[in-house]
Amino acid sequence: MAGMRTRGRRGADLGRNMASRAADIAALLRHECSLLVELYRNKENFPSDVAGVPLVSIPSPSSHLDPGDKLWHLHSALEQCCSLMERAIVREKEEFDGGEMGEYEKRRKMVKDRLSRLVIVTRDLLKATDGPSIVTTSLDASQLDGPTALFELKLWVYGIFMEVEHWSNTAIQIFQDLQPDATKVPSKRTRSSRIAPRMR
Amino acid sequence: MACLLKSTISKSDCRPFWVVVLLLGISAENTQAKTVLAVPQHVSLSANYPTQQLSISWFGGKAPIFEIIILRTEFNETVFYDTVSAVVNQDGGQHQWTWTSVEPLECTSLSVKICSREGNARSEWSEPQILEGRDIPSNSDAQMYPHSKVVSVGSNTTFCCIVAAGMELKKIYYGGTLMNVTRLSRRSYATTAVNQKASQPSGTNVFCLPHSRNVISGAVIFVGYPPRPSKLSCETQDLISAVCHWDEGPDTKLYGNRTTRYSINNRYCPQKSCGTPQWDGSWTLVAVNPLGQYTLTDSAELDHRVCPVEPVNLTAVVQIFNVTVHWKWKYDYSNHELVCQVELVSSNTTLRNFSGKGLHSVVLLDLHFDEEYRVKVRCGSQKHFWKWGSWSKAVTFKTKPYVPDSPDVWLWVNRDSGQIIWKPLTRWQSRGQIKGYQVTFWSPGENEPSVKFLSAGNNFLSVNLTRWASFSGDNKLNATVTVKAVGGVSQPSNVPLRLTGEEPSALEKTVYTSSGFPLSWQHNSNSTCSYLVEWCDAFCMHDCPVDWIRLDAGKTNVSIQSANFQPGVRYNFSLYSCPSDFPVLMRRWIGYMQELVPSSSVNLETTQQDCDVVLTWDEIPLANRRGFLQGYNVYISNGSQLILLANLNIGTGTYTVKGLSGSTHKFTVKAYTSAGEDTGGTAAISMKECGDGLILEILASLGMVTLLLVTAAYFCYKKRGWVKKAFYPDIPEPKLPGDWSRTRGPLDLKPAPHSMVNIIEKPERDLIKDALIAIAEEEEIDAGDGIGDEPVDTDEPQSLRYYNQVVDERPIRPRFPDSSVSSSSSVDSANTDVTYTGIQTSCSSLVFPSDSQSPSEVFQPHHGLPVSSGDRGGGYQPQMHPVASASSEPLEEPQALSSGGYKPQSSWLLDSPREADEKMSPTHSLGSPTSVSSSQFLLPDGEEHKEERQASSSAAAWFTNLLSSAKP
Repeated sequence: MAGMRTRGRRGADLGRNMASRAADIAALLRHECSLLVELYRNKENFPSDVAGVPLVSIPSPSSHLDPGDKLWHLHSALEQCCSLMERAIVREKEEFDGGEMGEYEKRRKMVKDRLSRLVIVTRDLLKATDGPSIVTTSLDASQLDGPTALFELKLWVYGIFMEVEHWSNTAIQIFQDLQPDATKVPSKRTRSSRIAPRMR
Repeated sequence: MACLLKSTISKSDCRPFWVVVLLLGISAENTQAKTVLAVPQHVSLSANYPTQQLSISWFGGKAPIFEIIILRTEFNETVFYDTVSAVVNQDGGQHQWTWTSVEPLECTSLSVKICSREGNARSEWSEPQILEGRDIPSNSDAQMYPHSKVVSVGSNTTFCCIVAAGMELKKIYYGGTLMNVTRLSRRSYATTAVNQKASQPSGTNVFCLPHSRNVISGAVIFVGYPPRPSKLSCETQDLISAVCHWDEGPDTKLYGNRTTRYSINNRYCPQKSCGTPQWDGSWTLVAVNPLGQYTLTDSAELDHRVCPVEPVNLTAVVQIFNVTVHWKWKYDYSNHELVCQVELVSSNTTLRNFSGKGLHSVVLLDLHFDEEYRVKVRCGSQKHFWKWGSWSKAVTFKTKPYVPDSPDVWLWVNRDSGQIIWKPLTRWQSRGQIKGYQVTFWSPGENEPSVKFLSAGNNFLSVNLTRWASFSGDNKLNATVTVKAVGGVSQPSNVPLRLTGEEPSALEKTVYTSSGFPLSWQHNSNSTCSYLVEWCDAFCMHDCPVDWIRLDAGKTNVSIQSANFQPGVRYNFSLYSCPSDFPVLMRRWIGYMQELVPSSSVNLETTQQDCDVVLTWDEIPLANRRGFLQGYNVYISNGSQLILLANLNIGTGTYTVKGLSGSTHKFTVKAYTSAGEDTGGTAAISMKECGDGLILEILASLGMVTLLLVTAAYFCYKKRGWVKKAFYPDIPEPKLPGDWSRTRGPLDLKPAPHSMVNIIEKPERDLIKDALIAIAEEEEIDAGDGIGDEPVDTDEPQSLRYYNQVVDERPIRPRFPDSSVSSSSSVDSANTDVTYTGIQTSCSSLVFPSDSQSPSEVFQPHHGLPVSSGDRGGGYQPQMHPVASASSEPLEEPQALSSGGYKPQSSWLLDSPREADEKMSPTHSLGSPTSVSSSQFLLPDGEEHKEERQASSSAAAWFTNLLSSAKP
């Protein structure tokens, strides 16, 4: 019993540390993504109040969900963000690449790398709390390709950046909520019950 | 025509002809107007949206021209209306005409109508043919046209925004610029960007904002330039294929999918260099982007365009004096004449060229010993040289060592010690790693030379010259240094020295310039020796970093420059002649590369001398001067600032500040060089009270006067006999006929009318000098007969004289000024010739002022002695007799007031002051009843002589006492 308690305490510490670390990464991502959004808006002369198009199919986790479900929602959304981000970079390179690594390109790469890191950390945290098997919902190819018209493509890219900013913000909240409950073992549920189309 | 032919016919004859022509013309016109032109049929529209061109085709009979009108369908606004000549398709007779719209064809629906025209005849308009725009109700989305258009810099582009159904346009932006808008239809709005500038890589956004929604619709336009490549050249590296290069030219500002694409001989080139597998001999480069294309051509024979690849696998076979460099080729150049360039880098860089067929190795000669080199190779075609190929990777090698050079040796002498010192060999001179040095030194008197071995890091050996010189009769010494290196032992370097014991000649200053320390000297024409200039830190005593330079014979000047010279360091320069054969010291210099302010200050001391302050200080040590001292500045501190008192030359070590008053003073003495002053030595002094010089002089004068008086008094005392004889001879006893001594009776004493005693009134007591005031006998000038000057021993009536003599210690009261009364009342002694000497004055002979003393304080005369009193005071009144006195008021008053007058006959008892003194009674002061002769002058009491008289009176009294004491 004593050994189990020790392991439980160690697991709690580990979970808290992971959640804390993930929250830090998410905070960094949010900061860098907000800078990227601002940089992109200025570069493309977009109005400040232009609305982004919803691109991630995962709805924002409800406050009624338990932390494990929130974490799963978050992980799925971040993975979609990561896929969209990668695709946006490819499309932008195809259409607009000037061959030079300017400030926008550097920051975009930084956000993408940070996002990938956050996905990994979230996955690790999800594994730590919910077991090794993780099922996520991914976007289909049409959703990933984006529009063909260049102006719509730019709005699409802008929307992706705003999605990343939104989900990094959500991640911070979830990770902060998760820290006191890191050691709680979420109840086993079927993943299908969690998947629901995102409505914004 | 008829009229022309018949031009000679009169006008009246032509009139019918003109009428006929007019009628015919009217008839023809009517015939033409009645011709019915065919209405264009089967009008069809074909839109090319990217180019914004509308192709209109129709069938329309044989009319040569057509009128075409194009309207915006919704607002029925005419966009185009003109007469055109359409192209006729010969096969089907279809007419076709193409119209280019300023606005995108998608903006709004257009209606096209055509009519045929032939002269003034015009057919009916065809049925309108409509090209539907994207603003039709069935397409309710917001849109912006044109999409992703690419235009040239400076062109104009019209955009249209179709708002969503039910929306109103708010604004249209081009980039960040708000645009003016023209309405084309209910949902379509147009704006035109003129003279567009190059866009950013992602293009320029044009978007419209509708009211009440934040959803924007827009398009991207790319503004750039057509391609302009240049400098196409093709060459071969493998002697088979061709590789072409070109310069892309100016930036087209088009990127991504719109970037310029190149092809060589119809072969796509992904990069700006492109190859062909065979040598085609001619090449065509086509550069294409959305704005246009550009073509470049090049042609050449293969042998003229050979550019060998870089040599690989370089190896170096190192010899003692040379190295062989080998390399390999990626392609077979064995039959091709090559020229190769070898870059050899050591301390400097050299290029050496070699040539040969299929060259793959070269030998590099004349290399330095034990030297590291870096070598790389590139080659080109020797025939029809085109260009150098790329450099190979560098390879490094090191040559073998060799026997080192002889060192440059010198013997530095510093008093009794010395150093055999040699310059470290450079890498070139050592020709390999140095193992050590062998130093041999000997004198002729020594049997065995001294041999020392030093390791490689050393470059000097200290020697005791005194011990050395003791072995040598002629003070000649020799030293030899050899270098042992990896490559062998150097030739010995010999340095001879003659210890002459001569002191160095006088030091001269040398001033550093940009070229160094300039030294110059006279050349001895008889000498063929070379010179050596040695220099070192002047204050270095041991293991000094000595440096020297050897100069050819005949040189008379040199500028010494060294990277080791430091500011503020004093350097000694010594010129030696014949450095290789017992050198002789010729001249010496000192100098500073840069003078600094002294590093230390003077040690200042202050001392007070009366009201002056003497500043003293020592010289600053030479080592701390850091420059040639030029003098000292003496300052006095005035609160926060220093006030310069004096500027003193060097060598001065003292300075006196005069005329300072009390309190504390702070002084600073700063030595200065050409670089400025040092921080200065400071000392403060608190001044003690100093005496006034005038007072001291007065005191000294008074002391001198006192000394003179004492000397005079002593002289007079010693010579009092002579003085007495000279100034105070003995008065002979009166010789009286008969016997006067036994007869008693009244003496009728009548003073001689000219014998008067003036009693000088002394109105106040001299409080300062409590001494007897001598009252001198008044000059006989007042009397006018000069009798007083007569000798005392005479039958003539004598004046009454007396001596004032101090017999009482009490203060002597001044007399009343009315002495004349007393004087006038002196009894004339007509019949007697008696002079009383030594009349002892006493209280009775003095008159005290009544106003200055209370009556009780007034010395009271002894019983019955006449004493003047009252306001008049009353002076001394010897022998005053009521009868004999001249009648005058002053005389009568004391007579009345006093209880008794002067009665010499009855009261005179004593004959000398001493006796009176012994009696201690003033009543016995009077002497002879007959006449009084006083040796004391009775001076008038003039105001102007008051003080003088007081002093002289005091002195006279003292003198009189002195004389009196000298009486036998």
